[in-house]
Amino acid sequence: MATAELGAARLGPSRAMRRVVGAVTFLLPLLCLFLLWPVVTTAFDVNPRVFPGVGMVWAALVESVRDGSLFAHIGASLGRVLVGTALGILVAVPLGIAMGVSSGISTFLTPLFRFFSVLAGIAWIPIATLWFGYGFGAITFVIFNAVFFIVTYNTLLGVSAIPMRLRHAAASLGAGRRAMLTEVLLPGALPNIVTGIRTGLGFAWRGLIAAEMIATNVGLGYMLFVARDFYRTEVIVLGMIVIGALWLLIDRLLLAPLERATIERWGLVTRS
Amino acid sequence: MKSLEIRNLQKTYFDPYAGTKVTAVQDVSLDIREGEFVSVVGPSGCGKTTILNMVAGFLPATGGEIRVGGRPVKGPGADRGVVFQSFALFPWKTVLDNVGFGPKMRGVPKAERDRIAREYLALAGLSHAADRYPNELSGGMQQRVGVVRALANDPDVLLMDEPFASVDAQTRMTLQEELTRIWQEKQHTVLFITHDVGEAVFLADRVVVLSKGRVMRDIPVTLPRPRVWDEVTEDEDFKRLSAEVLHMVRAA
Repeated sequence: MATAELGAARLGPSRAMRRVVGAVTFLLPLLCLFLLWPVVTTAFDVNPRVFPGVGMVWAALVESVRDGSLFAHIGASLGRVLVGTALGILVAVPLGIAMGVSSGISTFLTPLFRFFSVLAGIAWIPIATLWFGYGFGAITFVIFNAVFFIVTYNTLLGVSAIPMRLRHAAASLGAGRRAMLTEVLLPGALPNIVTGIRTGLGFAWRGLIAAEMIATNVGLGYMLFVARDFYRTEVIVLGMIVIGALWLLIDRLLLAPLERATIERWGLVTRS
Repeated sequence: MKSLEIRNLQKTYFDPYAGTKVTAVQDVSLDIREGEFVSVVGPSGCGKTTILNMVAGFLPATGGEIRVGGRPVKGPGADRGVVFQSFALFPWKTVLDNVGFGPKMRGVPKAERDRIAREYLALAGLSHAADRYPNELSGGMQQRVGVVRALANDPDVLLMDEPFASVDAQTRMTLQEELTRIWQEKQHTVLFITHDVGEAVFLADRVVVLSKGRVMRDIPVTLPRPRVWDEVTEDEDFKRLSAEVLHMVRAA
């Protein structure tokens, strides 16, 4: 016990140190690219119609912040992601658990999931616009799709990775069907579910941008697509930077810590 | 506390690889009185774990009957507490919540089940570990939690499946002594499965030797209690009984 506490004390500062080093090594290449950009555009005198200078993009940022259009696009995109993801998780987790518990259900549904996970995301855009029209419905459906299949599959994996002895232990301590679900299956599968959400959201984010180029009149994808019609490369590049940066923020500051928290806290589920 | 009756228990299953029917338990009858500690010992493959799994309700029997306090067993239930060889603690729950799990299933309010859990943790000298997660504990400590988790649910019968087989030798002896001490205090009806002859004799009131799915011998152990290894190792009765049981197990 004493050695364990000593170990933890020794790990403390070095862990914080690793975080800082990790952040720096992650940001450094991005910073280099950013610094290289004005050097290249001035050295080769690049035509702004081909690629904009830093100043132009900065001006576009200031303008779109001032007139509120950037936040309107970001808000629309995030809203769709939020709704699509929430719906996807709500349907996927119960289904994944049902599949994990019943081998009959999972045997029957697995081939379907193999097939549809290939199609998940942007392949659904054309038919989604026929079903839901252009706008919120079609795009949210595409996101739902991307999240749904991956989260279902990961939930299934998570449930089937729970050792049978844990279910036995719960049953012999008096757990009924409902307690088995809330006390064993859900928490046991949670690390996999969170991993599934993280992966699914990655696909959903890409699908979102693609869908917004086709099926709407507001959103980050739409912002890029319209700017092209007016040869406004600075708006296109601004949009690309926002899309990438926003995803990195969501992934690094929200999803990765969540994943770490569930997995590290409990040790690996399979370990004990 | 209740009695456990096993009548003509049988388990056969189809082995898909061999393509034949395999008999794991041929015909086992065994009575354990209220508050009696019975060890079942035998070589691997003798069917001892299969018997425990059927008594626990994890496996359906293909023949015979199991009764706890006169009532037939159907599926797993809180009347039979189980201690597993691989601990089977819930890794997402603290030690306190693991031990309080059974009372929680009975609908005991949070404050009361925490009190029960702390009381049982104290019994096993684990009070300091209440707020830890299982993966932060050593194997020996994890199994102490496994034992008190089963006890805290106050089962009629306690089923133990080679519970100390995966901890080191020193810890194992300590755990065995602790178990006899706790058992004397709580007087549970215990079915204890092991392949370790010394352990079987040290703990039990009776040792049942199993061979090829049948009861071979049923031997009473009359060593005085409380039992501690330092004294029991020197005891002539213990030596004689252990040698006798070992001889039967090896011949089995």
